[in-house]
Amino acid sequence: MANYFNTLPLREKLNQLGVCDFMDSSEFLDGVNALKGKKLVIVGCGAQGLNQGLNLRDSGLDVSYTLRKEAIEAKRDSWKNATENNFKVGTYEELIPTADVVINLTPDKQHTAVVSAIMPLMKEGATLSYSHGFNIVEEGTQIRKDLTVIMVAPKCPGSEVRAEYVRGFGVPTLIAVHPENDPQGKGLAQAKAYCVGTGGHKAGVLKSSFVAEVKSDLMGEQTILCGLLQTGSILSFDKMVEKGIDAGYASKLVQYGVEVITEALKQGGITAMMDRLSNVAKIKAFEISEELKDIMRPLFQKHQDDIMSGEFSRTMMEDWANGDRNLLKWRAETGETAFEKTPAGDVKIGEQEYFDNYTLMVAFVRAGVELAFETMVDAGIKPESAYYESLHETPLIANTIARKKLFEMNRVISDTAEYGCYLFDQACKPLLGDFMKKVDTDLVGKNFNEGKDGAVDNRTLIEVNEAIRSHQVEQIGATLRKAMTAMKAIKTA
Amino acid sequence: MKKPVVHITNFNLKFQDKYVLKDLCWTINIGENWLLSGESGNGKTSLVKAIANLIPNYGTVEINFNPASHLAGVVHYVANWYQFKDLEGQSNFYYQQRYNKQVASTTNSVGSELRHFGQQNQLKPDTLNPILAALDFENLLAATLIELSSGEHKKLQLIKAIWLKPQLLILDLPYNGLDSASRRNLNLLLDHLVEDGTQLILISNETEMPSSINRFAKIESGKLVETAEMQHLADLFTEVEKPLPAFFGKKQWPSVKSHLIKMIDVNVSYGDKKVLKNINWEVKAGEKWALQGPNGSGKSTLLSLICADHPQAFANNFYLFGNLRGSGESIWEIKERIGLISPELHWYFDPSATVWQSIVSGFYDSSGLFCEPGYTKRLQADELIYFFGLDDYKNTLMSQLPLGKQRLALLGRTIIKNPELLILDEPCQGLDQQQTFHFNKLIDELCKNGTTLIYVGHFESQLPDCIEKRIVLENGEVQAIENILETVSNA
Repeated sequence: MANYFNTLPLREKLNQLGVCDFMDSSEFLDGVNALKGKKLVIVGCGAQGLNQGLNLRDSGLDVSYTLRKEAIEAKRDSWKNATENNFKVGTYEELIPTADVVINLTPDKQHTAVVSAIMPLMKEGATLSYSHGFNIVEEGTQIRKDLTVIMVAPKCPGSEVRAEYVRGFGVPTLIAVHPENDPQGKGLAQAKAYCVGTGGHKAGVLKSSFVAEVKSDLMGEQTILCGLLQTGSILSFDKMVEKGIDAGYASKLVQYGVEVITEALKQGGITAMMDRLSNVAKIKAFEISEELKDIMRPLFQKHQDDIMSGEFSRTMMEDWANGDRNLLKWRAETGETAFEKTPAGDVKIGEQEYFDNYTLMVAFVRAGVELAFETMVDAGIKPESAYYESLHETPLIANTIARKKLFEMNRVISDTAEYGCYLFDQACKPLLGDFMKKVDTDLVGKNFNEGKDGAVDNRTLIEVNEAIRSHQVEQIGATLRKAMTAMKAIKTA
Repeated sequence: MKKPVVHITNFNLKFQDKYVLKDLCWTINIGENWLLSGESGNGKTSLVKAIANLIPNYGTVEINFNPASHLAGVVHYVANWYQFKDLEGQSNFYYQQRYNKQVASTTNSVGSELRHFGQQNQLKPDTLNPILAALDFENLLAATLIELSSGEHKKLQLIKAIWLKPQLLILDLPYNGLDSASRRNLNLLLDHLVEDGTQLILISNETEMPSSINRFAKIESGKLVETAEMQHLADLFTEVEKPLPAFFGKKQWPSVKSHLIKMIDVNVSYGDKKVLKNINWEVKAGEKWALQGPNGSGKSTLLSLICADHPQAFANNFYLFGNLRGSGESIWEIKERIGLISPELHWYFDPSATVWQSIVSGFYDSSGLFCEPGYTKRLQADELIYFFGLDDYKNTLMSQLPLGKQRLALLGRTIIKNPELLILDEPCQGLDQQQTFHFNKLIDELCKNGTTLIYVGHFESQLPDCIEKRIVLENGEVQAIENILETVSNA
């Protein structure tokens, strides 16, 4: 199978990369009608599968689950999840031929095997839905021409998809229709109805393409979301220990700090995050984040280039074929870092202290978010997509670090994200070697304002504020956040 | 003379620029067990939290433990609220969560929670069993925290406190959600503790109490005033005579003779555990029902089926508003016709919503407000806020209000859309008898236009007058279905 993107002429490449429209709520007035009375069969019943299925059924749709024969016979967790919530469960042979819409919610890595098993069983003219486009775009899987292929991707973990739905809201969702597979022209209507069924239409829906979703998703997760948070966390911890800060304190600051800091990011973008710092600290954070951007720009560009050319997915699929040799090795190494092995100390760190004593992370986050956003936009990805795959998701990943550190983050994210994260981390740490030599405890571990009188030059402050606020990620962010009216504040105490 | 156990001088507490407590003094001597009663929001909870050293102290609070006592030299506070975290340290739950089954368990089990508590406080495991037995909790050790009902959570809090045997035990509304047998047994357990040397401070507006209570007080004008016996307090709906907002009268429910609810041999089970067994029950439009039964008898589960919160509704022969469940209706279409309040709804409600947002969210059945309501809806919300006397709190966050006021806001949320079916699951938890009386009057008034009512309350005396029928559950089975209108009017 050839990489789908690479088979396209340049015109069509640009065309598909540059799709991203924020949909008006009037687009969803037809509710779930396009799927009403249709048989929806979900493949897989993990966190996304179960929770999306519960929402779709509660929206009045006919949902059942299909699992591999072995999973049913062995009564695996996926079988229990489905049956204990009173869903009908059957094998591929039993349920796929009856399905009007087959929703593939298995892990990325299994897509080729799953799709080749179910495609021959699908009835003429049915629809196949994905939540991620890797299989279509990077692996180049060809879908039977009579089938419609859509994507519906809630931008949150499965448990949140359910929690927000029953609260009466939803999570932001990305939808797409594969242009090679829309023979009846019904793809978009069905994808929209699916969004209404999971509640996503209340929180903002982006119309994207398979290509744009994959190329931006890979970029975001490798660089800012997982890669840089990992690199920044490890370097910060090691620096504090090197400079004699108590290891328990350092561990706690790093584990929870990134969540507290990015909560401000979630509520009000980079501006709000930077505004949590004193004026002196803000100017300092601005200066070092500019420096970080210059140092890391070539690395971000290399990641984007490898993603666009297909080089990244080629090497990763090689590793899949190799029994995940590199992935497993890197995973083990992450589990062995000093940060991972030092439990968070039993010390109270106030909410503001996380900003004042961890200015370095604020600088890392600003540099990473802006760089990832800029690099994606330069590569032809729309700013709306770039926003979701950089700034929007950063707090979500930060939450996983706060739960159980980096090992947990890497366990929760997809294998693809995990692989890309290690790749970035390996290259980024040496790149930051000289920079980190200059860093002292005023930037990480101690209050930056300590011993300073807080005075700043008016014009410098005005310029810094202007540079932060006028960045494109801030302007697009302000518009998109307005649509997500009721973002819940996490508890940071 | 020995030093008093608690000695408070010049205690002050402010809420939004107003003094709630001003220069309050209180001395608790050895052998005294106090009952503190009074209306919601007068500073009782803050006062006892300060004694337990849980909030910053705005006065002098001196505690003197008895060093010779074999009891733990601690103050233990049993909050009127419970909070627990999942295994990842988060507490972002939703009230329907315990009905959705997921194999990967996200919360601790009761057994391991108790074991952990025992280890932390070096308690003897064998002293736990009699407490579990008295509160009928032995069968719940394997359950996970998310699966517990509100009454069961309350019991778990109390079990820990009694097991701990602190020198000073503070109980803030401990009877909330407990059935009558559990209340009786709790009082016996508390009396035993007192015999053993524990001293009690009890915040409660109930007439029942442990027999060891020997001092009574209320808070008046910010000061503690000792009284001869329990005080029946002034009304919380400060102006009872206010007429019901006019918009309630406008909607008339047709007196349809059809079934609003029809359950035929309904079963709910989790693995081998049967929670509801062969339930047969019909509710006709306009009927007023009481649903009763001890803790754990299946009341909440039965209601969750009706409120479209339980996935096993799809596997049963169960008609709601004339349609078989699972015939293509969405849960929002069902919820639109129901006004619900329950302890769980309150517990998991969005604390970051304001009173106004919370009340308006009743139009949309959401926890928190996610859209801009139109003019009429705003107007109705304002009328209700006036009716409930919540004007001063309109823009206050729920999390900053005392429990009783939060409950009033949520009661407003429940009735604001003047729903066809009202489901009131212990609506008056945290309110005193007089407040309950007035709320029930309000319900009587509301239901005059043909509203169907299902009301859960532990005591028959607390039911609204309009209740005409009763269904009683025990161990997941229907124990009785009967008319009760006569008995009430005879009484």
